[in-house]
Amino acid sequence: MQRRIAHLDMDAFFASVELLRYPQLAGQPVVVGGRRGALAGDRLEDFPRLRHYVGRGVATTATYPARALGVHSGMGLMKAAALAPDAILLPANFDDYIRYSRLFKAAVAEIAPLIEDRGIDEIYIDLTEVPGETVELAQRIKDAVRAATGLSCSIGVTPNKLLSKIASDLQKPDGLTVLDYADIPTRIWPLDARKINGIGPRAGEKLDTLGIHTIGELAAAAPEKLIEEFGQHYGHWLTEVAHGCDERPVVTERETKSISRETTFERDLDVRADRDTLTDILVKLCDRVAGDLKRKGYVGRTIGLKLRYDDFRTVTRDITIEQATDDAATILAAVRSCLKRVPLDRRLRLLGVRVGTLLPPGEAGPRPPLPGENLRLFD
Amino acid sequence: MLLLTTTRDALLAPLQSVAGIVEKRHTLPILSNVLIEKHGDQLTLLATDIEIQIRTTTGGHIGGEDTSITVAAKKLQDILRALPSEGEVVVTLDDKRLTVKAGRSRFALQTLPAADYPRMNLPDGDATRFSISQKSFKRQLAQVAYAMAQQDIRYYLNGLLLIADGKELRMVATDGHRLAFASSPLEAEVPRTEVILPRKTVMELARQLADSEDPLEVVLAGNQVVFRFGPIELVSKLIDGKFPDYERVIPQNHQKLLTFERTPLLATLSRVAILTNDKFRGVRLVLGDGTLKIASTNAEQEEAQEELEVDYHGDPLDIGFNVTYLLDVLTNTHEDQIEWRFNDGNSSALVTLPGNDRFKYVVMPMRI
Repeated sequence: MQRRIAHLDMDAFFASVELLRYPQLAGQPVVVGGRRGALAGDRLEDFPRLRHYVGRGVATTATYPARALGVHSGMGLMKAAALAPDAILLPANFDDYIRYSRLFKAAVAEIAPLIEDRGIDEIYIDLTEVPGETVELAQRIKDAVRAATGLSCSIGVTPNKLLSKIASDLQKPDGLTVLDYADIPTRIWPLDARKINGIGPRAGEKLDTLGIHTIGELAAAAPEKLIEEFGQHYGHWLTEVAHGCDERPVVTERETKSISRETTFERDLDVRADRDTLTDILVKLCDRVAGDLKRKGYVGRTIGLKLRYDDFRTVTRDITIEQATDDAATILAAVRSCLKRVPLDRRLRLLGVRVGTLLPPGEAGPRPPLPGENLRLFD
Repeated sequence: MLLLTTTRDALLAPLQSVAGIVEKRHTLPILSNVLIEKHGDQLTLLATDIEIQIRTTTGGHIGGEDTSITVAAKKLQDILRALPSEGEVVVTLDDKRLTVKAGRSRFALQTLPAADYPRMNLPDGDATRFSISQKSFKRQLAQVAYAMAQQDIRYYLNGLLLIADGKELRMVATDGHRLAFASSPLEAEVPRTEVILPRKTVMELARQLADSEDPLEVVLAGNQVVFRFGPIELVSKLIDGKFPDYERVIPQNHQKLLTFERTPLLATLSRVAILTNDKFRGVRLVLGDGTLKIASTNAEQEEAQEELEVDYHGDPLDIGFNVTYLLDVLTNTHEDQIEWRFNDGNSSALVTLPGNDRFKYVVMPMRI
């Protein structure tokens, strides 16, 4: 039987939650990110503007008016400020996001219990066994989410997770897109190959050099050629996904074991000559991992470093810290201590940072105060 | 049209009691203004920022016609302040301009119609009411108000928890790092009522209440509170939020007890505080047999150290605090002695007044 899988993605989730708190900001370009700070008040002119931001923070979300100015999540705030200087900058309130995340997931579970948690703002739902016509059912889920949270979401319903993930993005915000295999040539093939979850910037670049830009062009490419260029595993997978094939089940019980980020360099880097570049990369990796942890609502105690040398040998080192963390600076300090335990006599082609032994923050106890920080009364 | 003939002080005093809440910047221009109502010999001034409204009525203004008008509060206040305190002030209203004349000075101010001025409706329905001396309420506010948060994202901490319960009035304020609690007796019994007063309302009351036995009438109803004292009526919205459970964080069994003379301890801490900086206000307390060492260091590796003799012979203790939180409680209490209880370096400390269970101050340590 053909499956019916939905991907539900909350629209500009963090920013939308902030708008619930500050309805006066509706319609304004708002960017969530940066440090937690106090607001001067809640009148429009009291809110900090992006142009005043100085620092290395990244945008975790942007409202649609901010996105229209070119700001997107993951973008450095200083860069975002250049695009949208008058956008309002709000600090992230992860406690709230986690609360709303639980609310919307509970609302969906009332209608369809088979849910795969994909993080704080997105889920896959297996609707195969749920009675009801697809569009009507998806609308019912959207309505339930709105009733429970006051927030809008976008849903894609297709025969598998791969296509649903793409479909939910087609009509954002507040979208509802139902696709079948027959729709692939018209709706999926014209899209940029990078729309496929699993084709990142570097694979995308390499496809570009092969003259493959759209998913359709990827589907038309010779499978042997892709395997030759990308290796057996990834090459085969590219052909599969380009044809919309994906048999992965909706996994309702899945424990995230670790969260990691890694990057392969444009060219192999020398530990001494390219020290600054390597430091930058390491700092960014830690920031990203910390961001992933926060977004997914985890803290972790085991922090690991992965290195690949120019001869493709890979080494890893890890360290277990006392208190589970999602703090970029703490992760960086741990990674640096791992770095002291690896030989650095060859050029490097890859760096990776991983945080494992994950706990949801609720179970991890309060984050320990840093030196110079006051202990809290109400944790 | 003559509005009134008066003296500077007779007009400035009531204006100052309402104009304090007028905000400098806001979206509604008329909120810069004060509403002036002349009715018979009664002059009523009213100002609001939509969250708080203050009204005061004074009598004895003979002559002039009855009318209502609004005019820029700060400008009128600045003008009256700058005039000589003696001498006649004549206020007239012609062609939508309010003219203030005194001696050879003349000021013509733009007005906006009184009908456009936003007013807060007085709460109706079930209310909790009580009366307390202004002095008592003011003193109790002073014991806790400094612990309120300021512009915290946890908006409910930017205010003061007021609990009227039976024959007791309790106040609690906290910024999440320290908490101040004070209670006072009420004469008549009231049903338990719990509200959070906004920070601005608290500051305004602290500024305006008198150190006298004159009564303060408090009416709590719906999401509003009304304070009436002397000629003043202050209406405020309340903060709608859940205040943290303060009772849970007041320690009950801290064993290590120290008693200090308040003034010398304040002097000691003030000296040690000199070598802390705005970013890091930490001081380190090392308690040993018969002595308490208080020390600070800063980023430039400078150090301050003080040693106090104390009547203490228990386990040693090494604990850090934000010195501001310690200075706050010492400057805002006025008894000669204070008691200080500790548990360990990661637990809160409890400050109380000897023989007085109506005041408690809890402060969390700082990691040094």
